[in-house]
Parts: sequence; structure tokens; C-alpha cells
Amino acid sequence: MSALLTKPTHLLSAGRTHPGAWWLAGISLALSASLSSNPFVLLGICALAMLTVRLCRDESPWARSIRFYLILGLVVVVLRVLFRIVFNLADANSDVFLRLPSISIDLGFGNSLHLLGAISVLSMKAALVDGLRLAAIILAIGMANSLANPRKLLRATPGALYEIATAISIAINLAPQLITSLNRVRRSRGLRGHSKGIKAIPGIVIPVLEDTIEQSMQLAASMSARGFGRRGNRTTKNVLITRITTFLALNFIVAGVAMLLISNASQLIDLSVLVTGFVFAFISFKLSSGRVNRTQYIVLRWQLGDVVVLTLSALVLISAFAGVFA
Amino acid sequence: MIEIKNLTFSYLKPDGTQKSEEPQLSRVNLEILPGEFVLVCGPTGSGKSTFLKTLNGLAPSFTGGVISGQLLINGVDYLGREPHDFANLIGYVNQQPEGAFVADTVLDEIVYSAEQLAIPKEEIANKVEWLSKLLNLEGLLDQALANLSGGQQQRVAIAAALISGAKILLLDEPTSALDLDGATEVLSILKKLAKEESVTVLLAEHRISRVLGSVDSVLVVHGDGSVTKGNPEDQFNDARFAPPIIELGQRLCWKPLAISNAEANKRWIEAPATFEELSANQPHDLVLKAEELVVSFGSVQALKSSSFELFGNQITALMGDNGSGKSSLCWALQGSGTRTSGEVSVLGQDPRDLSPQARLALLAMVPQRAADLLFLQSLADELHESDEFADVPAGTTASIFQQLAGRIDTSIHPRDLSAGQQLALVLALQLVKDAPVLILDEPTRGLDYAAKRALAKQLKNLRATNRSILLATHDIEFVAMVADRVLTLVDGTLVSDESPIVALGAGSSRASQIAEITATPGLITIEQVKR
Repeated sequence: MSALLTKPTHLLSAGRTHPGAWWLAGISLALSASLSSNPFVLLGICALAMLTVRLCRDESPWARSIRFYLILGLVVVVLRVLFRIVFNLADANSDVFLRLPSISIDLGFGNSLHLLGAISVLSMKAALVDGLRLAAIILAIGMANSLANPRKLLRATPGALYEIATAISIAINLAPQLITSLNRVRRSRGLRGHSKGIKAIPGIVIPVLEDTIEQSMQLAASMSARGFGRRGNRTTKNVLITRITTFLALNFIVAGVAMLLISNASQLIDLSVLVTGFVFAFISFKLSSGRVNRTQYIVLRWQLGDVVVLTLSALVLISAFAGVFA
Repeated sequence: MIEIKNLTFSYLKPDGTQKSEEPQLSRVNLEILPGEFVLVCGPTGSGKSTFLKTLNGLAPSFTGGVISGQLLINGVDYLGREPHDFANLIGYVNQQPEGAFVADTVLDEIVYSAEQLAIPKEEIANKVEWLSKLLNLEGLLDQALANLSGGQQQRVAIAAALISGAKILLLDEPTSALDLDGATEVLSILKKLAKEESVTVLLAEHRISRVLGSVDSVLVVHGDGSVTKGNPEDQFNDARFAPPIIELGQRLCWKPLAISNAEANKRWIEAPATFEELSANQPHDLVLKAEELVVSFGSVQALKSSSFELFGNQITALMGDNGSGKSSLCWALQGSGTRTSGEVSVLGQDPRDLSPQARLALLAMVPQRAADLLFLQSLADELHESDEFADVPAGTTASIFQQLAGRIDTSIHPRDLSAGQQLALVLALQLVKDAPVLILDEPTRGLDYAAKRALAKQLKNLRATNRSILLATHDIEFVAMVADRVLTLVDGTLVSDESPIVALGAGSSRASQIAEITATPGLITIEQVKR
């Protein structure tokens, strides 16, 4: 397996796999992480996400974005632990991990806020696990984002989601361009000398913003001039209803998933919200694909590598639901 | 094919009222025939781009503004339609292909428009085959767009614009970011499209001299709202954008004017004019010495070991194709760019070791996008900030700027200055400490002939104050105008150090247009020709 993976383009490299496969893999890793409270499993998920990106990524600009997700993950863990230390809840039943001077702040009205103090081992562990879980979710999504080519993903998007997917793909495309122009402007600004402190900001931000807006307008103009946004033979009413149902579908699905994961309320309500979302999605797909308004000249097919990615991530998810990682 | 009646277009002020000045286009009437090859020209900022954009709805859809009149395409009035309604009629290609690409690979990019228009798959396949043959893209279909040269990218953009079945092609300065080979490649494709495929081509272009011989008509956007169309021979009364070949004809009173090099050459041989020898400019003392300079980015060597010297009272042109290492060399000399190894010394000091303030006293540099240096709200603020940063008496920058650009109301926003004035402002900011070395990276992009002549004059005045000026460019006509010496970079290696008469003279692969026409040794610029 390792010999297979170290080759520059192998079965699972980003260029040869379906972007959807990576998003499904990322989502199942994130779900597994959210179901686990075992720090070793969480660390394992973080490591798996990082390793997968290392082995499968290509030279594309978004492939380098995993670094930012890693930094974000670390920040989340550190913040989570720091918050727990500062806003310490005293726990008499657990061993003391760190004894700090306790500070009480009188908030008036007879209330007071206790900061620091004796920090228990249990609360430290809980903070670490919470932080790690968030970091694992961030890295799992980061993996999907680093490996899935946004432009290819756009091709594979069903008609109803096409407009939303286009907006997202323009936004993703602008990120590397933003970094390029930031570097260029900073270098040019060096010629005039860097102003210090807050005064330096407009000198960098104004030209970079101008660049970015210009660039996105140019891309949008080019897409429009080449026929993007044509409705074909669909009526205005059809387009409007499709947009509304798509919007509702997305909201219901997101809310349903969030409720399933977070709330402790009846699972029946959560599921019914989710199902409503899927019904709306079905209606909007039917409405928008009823009449052909776009050709797919190059159709992305699911390959062996995609099946491998999906099988592996399904295994992880099933074990998570079965409670193996608890 | 296209018939325009009473077309009026003006931009709006932010508050929604019409600008009090003249509209950009005012009561334009003209007709363009099927298969006609039209060159669109006019001074910088006259509204060439705006004019092209009104033809496929990009103006006012993407620019704002109000439009009125009639825009008939095949007899149907399209005024006020969205750009996507024009997609099957008109293809549009702009200056920077990479900014307009929507896909990663050549094939994906080419078929995009056909997919949007729901053209059946078999038909797309046939069109891809036809276009890849026509535009020599056959081996490139699987390639990533980012790996192509600028010329190849523009060919892909042209194919992508034509796949929708459009028989009209609008091109907004498609060669301005390309080097000589890339530009020649693109322009010859356009000639072929117009002649063999009877595509109607409207080409806005600064390198007029290269295409003038093959166009059917010239359309001039004058800048006062009027647009005229006519034969190439009688559209160039305005010297602001007349190419050297037209100027030569005017100077020698040829009637009618010659528009192709071959024709002009015949005329010149019949009655050659006398010309002045280029006066050799005497260089002064050594000011900059670079020894075995190397610039690498990762495994790529942008500049291989290069050594050279620059002298006071001399303008040195650094020529080379895109990607040959010109910019890397400039930034390495300046001190803030990457320098992998080698020595740079300006009057005994290495600029890399100095603070930005201290560098200004040795080296001034104007980067490729001069406007990147401007960020304040008014010209007065920019001038003031510059005095403060350089720690010079108040008004120093303002007086340099005035020498370069004349008197300008200082309450104006720097973005409202013309391209030439912005360049002069950045020059002034950089020269505030009287640096003996001035480096300019591609200064003439987007400037018309008049603005180039103004810049040439400014540079010659600066040279006269015992400065050494290094000019990285691939603008042959501009180098012919100003340079005392030409260095040539090929793939990161300095291959020659010649006088402009040799580098740009008759018989050279980079001969200036005047040298090509006259085939006379020692004659490279129109200024030398006596009336």
C-alpha cells in the first residue's frame, strides 16, 4: 500500500479522484470525530486527515490550504484549554492538576466571578477532548477542501445547486489570487517604505481589495459573456420557484443535521426537519432538471480510487456509530 | 452584421446622476460588415474598451452607466440585453486570459460556453475538433491552463469564444501582456479567422504597426464621444496614436499613406529621405556594478550568473521575452527582492543591507504596476506622505512631480490621474532623494504613443542630471526612442550588450518598424528622419 501511495500519481491522488468522494470522506471523518470522546481516536483522525492530504494532494493552490486548517485547529485546542483554566469551575471530587491563585471579581448585586484557582485533572481532560474534537472536525473538512478541486466539483453539481456552487467556486478561486496580489503589493509598498502601525494598513488593503474586486468582476463578466446565467427555455416563474425550494432545502438540511448532532430533544423532530429538507431538495431537482438548459460535455465518472476512498470512510463512520471509538 | 444607430453611452456618478461631462459615446452611427477585420484604436482612456463592451452588453451590465440608441445584430435590436444573451452571437476576449478562465484544463475551458448554451454533445465534439485544428491547439487539450505560454492561453481564449457559434469576435488588447512571439502568433490567427473563416473581428490594439497591413478598416474612438470608421489611410490624423509607419508617411508627405511594411519599403526605396545619425551619448562614471548575480526560486533559476555595469548619464534597456528574468533582475538589484548569490554595489554600498529610506538615496524603482504604490485619498496627501517618509523639506516631491507632469490640481484622487500621470507621480515619489540609479519595470504598458513620447522626454531629462536609468521592457519602439544601450536576457542569461542601432536595426529579429521599412543601417526611429 505504501509503495502505491508514494508514487506521484497513484490510484488515490487528487487529480484522479472524484471531488465528491473527498467531500464525503471529509464529512464522515468529521461525523466520526463528533461522536467520539476518546482523545487517542481524535488524534488519530487528525493524523489521518493530515496524512491523506500529504499523500494524495497535487500542485494546485488549494492543496496548500491544509496548513491554515492545521493552525486553526491548534488555536482552537489552545483557546479551549486556556478558557477552562481562566474560567475554572471548582470540582472537589477530582485530583488537582494545577493550583493557581484564585481571583474573585465582585460583579455587584451579590454575584461574584471566580477566576483561576485549583484546576482539576478531569476538567483539563474534558477541555482537551473538546478542543481536539473541534480540531479533528476542522482538519477533516480541511482535508476535503485541500483535495477536492472546486472547479471539478462545480462540474459534478446537479443543476439546482449550480448557481450556489458557482458562487462558492468563484470565492475559492479568489483566495490564491488574493495571496498573490498581497505579496505583490507588499513588495511594491516596500519601495515607498513601510509606514508603521495602523497607518500601514490602507497602503496594503486598498490596492489588494481593488485587485480582488477587479478580478472577480472580470471572471464574472467572462462567464456572463460566455452564456452563464442563461435560462434556456425555462420561465421566470420556474426559476424563482426553483431558487426558493433550493434555499429552503439547504436550510432545512443544515438545521436538521445540526439538531441531530447538538440537541438532546426528541430525535423524531430532528429527523422530520431533515426529511423535510430532502423533500424540498427533491422538488427543486425535479423542477430544474425538467428541461435541459445545460450540456455536460465532460462527465466525471466514479473510478476505482473513489470506491476505495468511500469504502474506507464508510468503515470509519460505521465503527463510530457502532461505538467502537467511544 | 452589426449596425449601430445613435448609440449614446455615459457613466453615472455615484449618486446616480449623469456625469456633467461629455458622454463616453455620443450619437454613434456605423455599420460593420460580415467578415470585416476592424482595428479599433484611439488615445489611452478614450473609451475603446467601453465601446467594445457596449457591443455585447458588458456595458452597462458590468460597468454601470446608461445606454440609448439601437444596436442591430443581424437586423435584431439587442440594446439593453444581458451579456449572456449575446453568447451565441459574439465572442469576447480580454487582455489577461488567466483572469477570465473559468476552468483548469484547456478542453474544459473551451467547451464551457457550449455547455452553457446546451449545445448537443456530438456538435461540441465536432467544434472542438475544428477549433483545435484552426488554432493549433491539438496537442494541448489535456494540458492545465496554468502551464501554457501567454500566446497559447490567448489562443485557448479565442477558441473558447468561438465555440458557441459566434461569428463576431471582440478582442480588447489581446496582445498587451504578451511578448513579441506571443503577439505575432495571436495576430496571425486573427488574420486567418477573418480571411478563411469569415469571422467578423473587432480588435482594440496598441501594437497597431503589426496589424495595420491586414485590416479592412480602422475605427477610431476619439475620446470626445465621437467614433469614426474608415480606410486605414485616412484615420490617423490624430498623432496621439499614429504608429511609426503612418508618422513616416506623414513626415515624407506620401499620398496616399502606406499602411503595410512592404508598400512603405517600396516608397522608401523610390525616394529615400536623409536622416540624422543617432548621437552617441557619452556615459559618465560607473554607478552600479553587479557581479555574478543569481536569483533562484526553489529549483527554478530565474537569473543565471550575470555580471554587468551601469553608468551615469546613460539609459540602458533590458530586453527579453516574458519569463526571461527581467523582473527578477530588477528586484534583485533594488535589494528587496530575492538574491541567491552574487554582489551588487551602488557607489560602494550594497542596497540589500540598507533600510528602505536609505535605499531611496541610491536606487529608485518603478514596479510593473505603478498604481500599487498609490493608496491615499488625494494627490496632495501622496506628495506630503512622500516628503515625510523621505525626510526631505515639504514640497520636494511636488516640485519633482511638476517638472515631470506639469501643473495638476492636487485635490484630485490619484486613481483619477491618467496612466501616464500616475507613472510620473510614482517616478516623483521614488526620485525624491535624488537617487543616481533609476529602475523601471515595463513602464509603457497601456500607454499610447503620445504618452510614450512624454515619458521618453522625461527620462532623457532625468538622464541629463547624471543618472543611470535601467529600463526592463519588450517595447521595441520605445527602446528605439530612448535607449543608449541594450542588454538582452534569454532564459535568465545575459546574452548581449549592444548599441540600439545594432540590437534594433535592419536585419535584427527585433528590428523597429522604421528599421524594417527602410532597411537602412543606422536608422531605427522616426525622430531621425528629416522632413
